[in-house]
Amino acid sequence: MIPAGPAVTLRGVRKSFPLAEGRQLQVLDVEHLELAAASCTVIQGRSGSGKTTLLNLIAGVSLPTAGAIVVRETVITTLPEPQRDRFRAEQIGYVFQTFNLLPAFSALENVMLAMLFGRAVPRRQQRARATALLGRLGLGARLAHKPAQLSRGEQQRVAIARALANNPPLILADEPCASLDAATAREVLAVFLAVCREEGNTLLIVSHDEAVLGAGDRLLDMAEINARAGAGA
Amino acid sequence: MTLFTVAWRYLQGRFVTSVLTIVGVGLGVSLIIATFLLTRGIREGFIEGATDYGLIVGAKGSPTQLVLNVIFRMDAPMPNIPFRAYEDLQHDPRVEVAVPVAMGDAYQGFRYVATTDAYFAPFSGRRRAPALSAGRFFRSDVPEQPTYEAVLGADVARRTGLKLEDRFFEGEEMAAYPLTVVGVLRATGTADDRAIFISLASYWEMNELSRRAMVKPLTAVLIRPKRLSDLAALHRGWNVAPDIQAAFPTAVLLNIFNLLSLVEDVLLVVLGAVVIVVGLYLFVTMYNATFERRREIATMRALGARRSTILGIVLLESCALATLGGLAGILGGHGGAYLGAALLAARGGPPTHALAVNALQPVTFGAVIVLGALAGLLPAVLAYRTEVAENLAPL
Repeated sequence: MIPAGPAVTLRGVRKSFPLAEGRQLQVLDVEHLELAAASCTVIQGRSGSGKTTLLNLIAGVSLPTAGAIVVRETVITTLPEPQRDRFRAEQIGYVFQTFNLLPAFSALENVMLAMLFGRAVPRRQQRARATALLGRLGLGARLAHKPAQLSRGEQQRVAIARALANNPPLILADEPCASLDAATAREVLAVFLAVCREEGNTLLIVSHDEAVLGAGDRLLDMAEINARAGAGA
Repeated sequence: MTLFTVAWRYLQGRFVTSVLTIVGVGLGVSLIIATFLLTRGIREGFIEGATDYGLIVGAKGSPTQLVLNVIFRMDAPMPNIPFRAYEDLQHDPRVEVAVPVAMGDAYQGFRYVATTDAYFAPFSGRRRAPALSAGRFFRSDVPEQPTYEAVLGADVARRTGLKLEDRFFEGEEMAAYPLTVVGVLRATGTADDRAIFISLASYWEMNELSRRAMVKPLTAVLIRPKRLSDLAALHRGWNVAPDIQAAFPTAVLLNIFNLLSLVEDVLLVVLGAVVIVVGLYLFVTMYNATFERRREIATMRALGARRSTILGIVLLESCALATLGGLAGILGGHGGAYLGAALLAARGGPPTHALAVNALQPVTFGAVIVLGALAGLLPAVLAYRTEVAENLAPL
């Protein structure tokens, strides 16, 4: 069942980094942003426009300098770090541009690893769920393969399965196709979107890849979202 | 999947480094275990093999050499004393038991110990008299009619393969005096296990010098006084003789233990350095592993792992390395101690009880795990403090 309210709300969110001589470099200034539940939003923007910073803030990986971020009615910016970690493990899936698979672990273990950090999937069901997810993503025959034994397209599909492992309501994807060739990118993106739609996940993709821009329900430009960034530096 | 699985996968992921670290820790622990087992084994071997006799009378010289030679069958052989000394002691009213002992040649490295049946007899205050596991003791033959019967210590029987009724000799010149095995002693854990006991008559007949000169040489006489208070007078009385001395075995043992304590002190310093080296080796291994893994740590954090979870994984890895190294070290240490004890025995060293299992093993094992935790603590804190956003991108 899709909740009535927005999946993500950002209010007056600013992020700046300290520079020398006490100055601040403001990289993000978002007055207001809402993502509808079960929607697929694509944010485009050039390199260095603050896309990854925005995702890290929504994921609770880093905290904003000011403002509030609400994910499914939870103000994650006020959560203590351990609770934020738990919230991220159970409520947010993250797909990285360079996959970030752990090389010592098999495809199956990489997916199961995500379940270890949350309580969303009971331990006895974790292997079965990871196997099923990888099967849905066409990797049923690659369960025991280490990342180095997989193609780049397969690696990204493992990363997508890992993001879906805890069945999180929100999935963040940072340039998910940037490391793939055009054909593989289209294939992976199609599978990714199909699975997210089936599962009812809210999907936020940041990318400057042409192949991704038309894939969502909504296309936003980072330059508009982040119009005031840099002004206060 | 559990945190331990994650730690284990990381160890497997850097297999060669992990194995080398385990071997390094294992070698350090082996050295510690083997050293403790051997030093304590030597000490216990001396205690176990210590005689129940209060005094040893032998040729003038070093009391330590006399005791080591007669009781522990170590050190260079002592000169002989005349049989008259034994006769005088036998008739001394202060003496309860006097046992003559003559030591000479050896068979396959096992020394002949010539004595009388008194050597095997129990007496008041004797902890354990030698007992037979097979056969009988040699006959108390008369000097003119030696029977050339031999009773083997347990190690001798095991190592030489000699059985009851077997005849043996070593060297062409001894072919005319073959000995016959009539008995085998039970293992005692003392130097008696490595001795071949024969009668004095057989020994004197086998000894060319005594045969020609018609003398009855002895190496020593073991004395048990009727009263402990007589020991001092006996000791003093025999030490004024020009060619004969009397030695207290307990005093010599105390000297040996003092010497052992000095050696143990030096070894403790060396082992302390070993512990530091092992700890540093573990630390460097874990530090490098954690440093190279910052991106993976950041990824796990982005997937929802808490800082404490990451800390736990690194500590588990470090402790797992220490645990495996500790286990390998305890096994290797026992192997080393066994080999060391065998080497000592082969070279006529002291009897060594090197394979005793007691508090040493669990305490060392626990200490190694604690060392592993300590060595992994700083790398674990480094992992704990890894900034997620900064390390998510390729390094």
